[in-house]
Amino acid sequence: MGLTFFVFLSSGLLLGWSLGANDAANVFGTAVGSRMLRFSTAAAVCAVFVVLGAVISGAGPSHGLGQLGAVNALGGSFTVALAAALTLYGMTKLGLPVSTTQAVVGGIVGWNLFSSTRTDLTALTRIVGSWVAAPILGALFALVLYRLTDRAIRATKPHILWLDQWTRIGLLAAGALGAYSLGANNIANVVGVFIPASPLGDISLGGVLTLTGQQRLFLLGALAIGVGAFFSRRVMMTVGKHIVTVGPVGGWVVVIAQSLVLLVFSSQSLQALIMRVGLPAIPLVPVSSSQAVVGAVCGLALARGLKGARQIRWSVLRNIALGWVATPAIAAAISYFALFFVQNVFEQPVYQSAMVAAGQ
Amino acid sequence: MAELKISPFRKTRVLQAQIDELLDVVSQAALAYKHAIGHYIRHGWDATAEEKFEQLNAFEELGDTLRGTIGQSLFTEMLLPDTSGDVLGLLGSLDRLLDDMQHSLVVVRIEQPEIPPEFHAGWLECVALAADTVEQVVVAARCYFRDPRATRDHIHKIHFYEDETQRTALRIIEQLFQSDLPLDRKLQLRGHVWLVDRVADLADDAGDALAIYAVKRSV
Repeated sequence: MGLTFFVFLSSGLLLGWSLGANDAANVFGTAVGSRMLRFSTAAAVCAVFVVLGAVISGAGPSHGLGQLGAVNALGGSFTVALAAALTLYGMTKLGLPVSTTQAVVGGIVGWNLFSSTRTDLTALTRIVGSWVAAPILGALFALVLYRLTDRAIRATKPHILWLDQWTRIGLLAAGALGAYSLGANNIANVVGVFIPASPLGDISLGGVLTLTGQQRLFLLGALAIGVGAFFSRRVMMTVGKHIVTVGPVGGWVVVIAQSLVLLVFSSQSLQALIMRVGLPAIPLVPVSSSQAVVGAVCGLALARGLKGARQIRWSVLRNIALGWVATPAIAAAISYFALFFVQNVFEQPVYQSAMVAAGQ
Repeated sequence: MAELKISPFRKTRVLQAQIDELLDVVSQAALAYKHAIGHYIRHGWDATAEEKFEQLNAFEELGDTLRGTIGQSLFTEMLLPDTSGDVLGLLGSLDRLLDDMQHSLVVVRIEQPEIPPEFHAGWLECVALAADTVEQVVVAARCYFRDPRATRDHIHKIHFYEDETQRTALRIIEQLFQSDLPLDRKLQLRGHVWLVDRVADLADDAGDALAIYAVKRSV
């Protein structure tokens, strides 16, 4: 059982690796691309904080993803993760912007269709709604942060060397927060579909620390993301060069804004606090760090007024938006056909009928 | 001192002090240049003029050393990745100002031209305006390092002083060629006036570059 589980989990780990190799760029791309931080430092900090975020705070978004569809057989989990990974690979090859979250959600919807499980429309609406909310929230955070940072710099008038020094420290701290948020929010994409079928139990580490079965699964996925971060140099340079026109301080604003978006959609404590105040609860669902970054960059441009708004390439934004629509649809289609293939050609169970029936 | 050595911000403190020192050196060199030429016009080349000349030499050497050290630190420590080119360009312009003021005084020291008394007032005014142009560049440069948006408030003064220097220099040259001096002296004195005007010209070029650097330095 152990070996079979790990063979099936390999597609999730591959997904984690590619997520690390791509999304680490959203967190540290500006810092590395603008040569404010060394790549090795960025990758190491990213790997450590992704693992911490996934193990400590990864439960919320995973629960949100689980509500969409509990993939209850290892073969199904494997195929859904593989479909998402194939979609990401294909979209990247076509040069279209990719979102791991959307690919995984599309994969789960494909599994729901194949296994005749009713897709929870409330959960789906919540997740899709977060895709709209994430970039808007990213833009708002960036706008406010930019104004505050600009005001603070004007008021304190730091020497250029000190501004550089504090920006480096800020980028490192923001990157660590971003990596933590990425781990917390996106671990659900990587191993979320394996949770219902996972055979992993609780384990005690020297009687000091106890890891639940879910946390062990998150740790494995997070390690894959962490390893992927060390392969993100090229993407980091690309993202850095694209965003570097906003400057290191602007880059810091973008990373903090993106990290806050991911944190808002991951933090159970924040959700509890918001509900205590009487505000509507924020859904704890995995959101795309790429969407948050795009929103934050636009927010930064808009904060500069009309001049900044003119700098936004609206045609590029349109293509990105089209990619956001296409990704889940393609992943759902690939997932549906791959499940058919795995079930009928390899004769592997991809769902458990009894539980499906119970679910209905 | 021991605390300073282990501080992670030590390099930044040292580098900031070096940049401030270079700016001080350029400002003091401008004053030394003005005093040296002024003293020469009034008293000829004596021990005091020689002392001012040595002082200006020392400033020029110190400026070269500081510029080299700052440039090396910026590259080896990978500091200011987005603006290091501009900062080095600015420091290079300041260093050229030091070189040019020294060169102008070297030529006076070698040729020791005889300036007729009727040109003294205009000549002193021209040198003072050139020194003011350099001083305004230093003020604008200090502003660039702390508050780039306010740099333009000082750059227009650089242009003003440069214009005034040029106007005064042209007036002196016109008067020179309308005078009864022999042609060889007219040409010699004209060359010296151009050397003073060239200091202001270089300062104006530094001001133009600084205006662009300041615009580039936005959040």
